[in-house]
Amino acid sequence: MKKNVFLLYSIGIILFITPLTSIHSQQSLSAKEIVKISDENMRGNSSQANITIKIIRPNWSREMNMKTWTKGDDYSMILVTNPAKEKGTVFLKREREVWNWIPSIERTIKLPPSMMSQSWMGTDFTNDDLVKEASAVVDYDHTLLGQEQISEVNCYKIEMIPKPTAAIIWEKVIVWIDTIDFLQYKAEFYDEDGELVNIMTSSEVKVMGNRKITSQIEMIPLDKEGNSTVIIYNDIVFDEEINENFFTTRNMKQLK
Amino acid sequence: MLLKLSWLNIWRNKRRTLITATSVFFAVLLAVLFRSLTDGIYDNMIHNVVSYSSGYLQIHQKGYWDEQSIDNTFEEDNQFYQKLLENKNVTHIMPRLQTFALASWGTKTKGVVILGIDPDKEREVNNLHEKIISGNYIKDVNDKGVVIGEGLASQLNLQVNDTLVLLGQGYHASTAAGKYSVTGIIKLGAVELNNAVVYMPLELAQYMCGAENRLTSISLMLDRTNNLESMKRSLEKTIDSEKYELMSWKEMMPELHQFIEVDSSGHYIIIGILYLIISFGLFGTLLMMIFERKHELGILIAIGMKKHLLAIILLLESIMISIIGCIAGVIAGVLIVKWFTAYPIHLTGEIKQVYEEYGIESIIYFSSNEKIFIVQTIIVLLLSIILAFYPGFKVMRLKPVDAING
Repeated sequence: MKKNVFLLYSIGIILFITPLTSIHSQQSLSAKEIVKISDENMRGNSSQANITIKIIRPNWSREMNMKTWTKGDDYSMILVTNPAKEKGTVFLKREREVWNWIPSIERTIKLPPSMMSQSWMGTDFTNDDLVKEASAVVDYDHTLLGQEQISEVNCYKIEMIPKPTAAIIWEKVIVWIDTIDFLQYKAEFYDEDGELVNIMTSSEVKVMGNRKITSQIEMIPLDKEGNSTVIIYNDIVFDEEINENFFTTRNMKQLK
Repeated sequence: MLLKLSWLNIWRNKRRTLITATSVFFAVLLAVLFRSLTDGIYDNMIHNVVSYSSGYLQIHQKGYWDEQSIDNTFEEDNQFYQKLLENKNVTHIMPRLQTFALASWGTKTKGVVILGIDPDKEREVNNLHEKIISGNYIKDVNDKGVVIGEGLASQLNLQVNDTLVLLGQGYHASTAAGKYSVTGIIKLGAVELNNAVVYMPLELAQYMCGAENRLTSISLMLDRTNNLESMKRSLEKTIDSEKYELMSWKEMMPELHQFIEVDSSGHYIIIGILYLIISFGLFGTLLMMIFERKHELGILIAIGMKKHLLAIILLLESIMISIIGCIAGVIAGVLIVKWFTAYPIHLTGEIKQVYEEYGIESIIYFSSNEKIFIVQTIIVLLLSIILAFYPGFKVMRLKPVDAING
């Protein structure tokens, strides 16, 4: 009799808890956490990558190859390896500063804040996109708008509204992050008039550096027809220790 | 009959005829010289300004003018040059690559206009090498040095043989960057150019911008007196309008065009006053003639000469005198203008300096545009014909008795 009571209790508790846990696993993942997981997945503690950037314009297109190193949010370095004429050009981001080393004039240039909203190397990305002063996690308020299918993948649709204190030019950003691997498939950027300005789409999911990532990212500015910029990750290594001393203006000049 | 009568009449009193003809002569001469001088000064000004800047006409890649980016460039093409030069009115062509960049020396940085030029072709047109105030002019297209404006040099605190760092955007979003030794400093009249220009050998500029064999424009120089609009139309036929656009300096520098328009409207007032003085002079001689011949005219009417026939004779006389004066005036005008075209006036002293400050040759040219001669002669002729109606009018109202007795 006692045994039966225990069994009943146990079943009761299990029955009671199961829905709770399942609710927990779905609901407790707040919009902020989803963005955070996605952000960390793409970034890692550190990363080294070979990328190709394609600038696409109505009448021409251009390809550049680069090597990148990143460490956390604060440090990153980009070295242009191709085309030959610009080989050796380096961009260094240290915390909130961006430095540019141009070998042909042997000069290190610190990009002033006024240049932050300008195009980075002629692409549709701005210097500011490079610095990513704002953190997708910390500087926004996130709201889960629901789930949507993006290229046959089920995604969370999350609205991100910048906090009043953050220096962000967008009125809002809407991102689509898939429910299984937490990869960001699409982002829409709205300006202060609420108008859609840029669309960033990601595709070509591949396993690289032991992670599943979207290896191709395309930025499409809507006000310029036929323009876009594609970033392709050729290979990437995550979490390999890089010394902080690597990210110095001195090292920029000898980087190969 | 009437013609013969009036012809004989005008030579009856030679002195009177000569005085009247002389006043017409000077009227025409003054009007012609004034227009020729003002037009000559404008032509010279335009010639000077366009030889540094746009050329009379400029060929671009279609769409360049609206979006002046280095991406809107076109390929150099020697055959195309030949084709342009086949047109006899095109005296020179200047291929150029123009772009914007940041220039830096020491701790100073300034935005500059980079003009990639063919140094020999420019020199033929605007004597650029004479404007060098220190150092040397660019030797040839593949020279490695640059020449910068005097204003820019002083703002950057830079001397000849210093190294100028240039950084800008190149062709198809590449980076245009380079270090160049400054071989010369040039003083230009146009202030904005003087403060911001970096002249570069064409090939060097093309390499820096990653735009090998590409040009932003071909400037065409025409003869000073050429009709711009008709030249533009005839050239438009020879170039591929799908690929290129052809613009005149009036379209590219509307402010200069407007300045000339406004300035020359002032000249219209002056020339209006000139016409007024001329008219009164003519009128005076006509009045005198009528007064002198009152007696004679009275008798003619008294013995039965019809008044209106007499009026026509007087009109014809005036016209003949005017024509004589006009022809003499035009001949003298042509001679003087020809003389000054061959031997232009070189200004000296302070005025010369003022002119050179503005980068305009300190020479006064006379325009020998035939339009001036024709138009001015016709205006003076018309004026004298209108005035010649007065004697006729006077005759119609003449009372023979009063005239004979008076």
